[in-house]
Amino acid sequence: MGTPGSDREALIEALAGAYRARDPHGAISSHPAFFDLDDAGRIEAFEAAQRLRVVEAALDPDGLSTTARAVLARIRAAGG
Amino acid sequence: MLDLDDHLPLLASGDADAFGRWLAGAEPRLRGSLRSYAARLDTEALVQEVLLRVWQVAPRHVPDGRPNSLLRLAIRIAKNLAIDEIRRVRSEPMDDDGIERALAAAEASAFRGGPDPLLRRVIADCHEKLAGKPAEVLAQRLASGGGEPDEVLAERLGMRLNTFLQNFTRARRLLAECLEKNRVDLHAELC
Repeated sequence: MGTPGSDREALIEALAGAYRARDPHGAISSHPAFFDLDDAGRIEAFEAAQRLRVVEAALDPDGLSTTARAVLARIRAAGG
Repeated sequence: MLDLDDHLPLLASGDADAFGRWLAGAEPRLRGSLRSYAARLDTEALVQEVLLRVWQVAPRHVPDGRPNSLLRLAIRIAKNLAIDEIRRVRSEPMDDDGIERALAAAEASAFRGGPDPLLRRVIADCHEKLAGKPAEVLAQRLASGGGEPDEVLAERLGMRLNTFLQNFTRARRLLAECLEKNRVDLHAELC
């Protein structure tokens, strides 16, 4: 299947996504791509994520981004 | 336009749908406040952690009488978590003027409960023009709602992860070009 490896654009795209794994203690983990990018790449990913979330919210019937969806899913899974 | 604290009565009763409506207005401001931390921390992970903590404290939150008190609390939680994490990884301290500006802005302004209707329409039109693989990868990310890793989404489409991510970059660029043609500046929307 492959990994983003050292492909800078792929790493930025991966980091800009909303999926985050949980560590064994249940805390939200940093994306592995974060550690493979330099400062400029991390900032680029932040800016891409900012714009993406606006687009996602605009396309969602409830105005929710994938970040908001992920958080609500965790809350509902916990019985909230 | 609304004060996001209007949702507090329902949040006090643990209404997750009301929290969703609060999120729709609060998330862009919260994320924007973390820009100065973006090189040091995974801000997406931080945003999600903060939002989960806000959900936990919201029922006990007492507004201070000024607008958007829960959002301002969220920004402060984010700042404290960011500082803790920076200390943990022994990174250098940093300027956090962005947080202070975000706090001031949250107090001064009223919020929409999500994207502006006109902006929504333009984005929807541009989205409809996407075709092929870029449309497929964007649809996968939207449908998964941040709940599945890209590896799984790529496999579902029979793509290698790198191909999936390259197609996503293409989707973002095509959308950005279309929005630009329609004179939409997403950066300005975030300010």
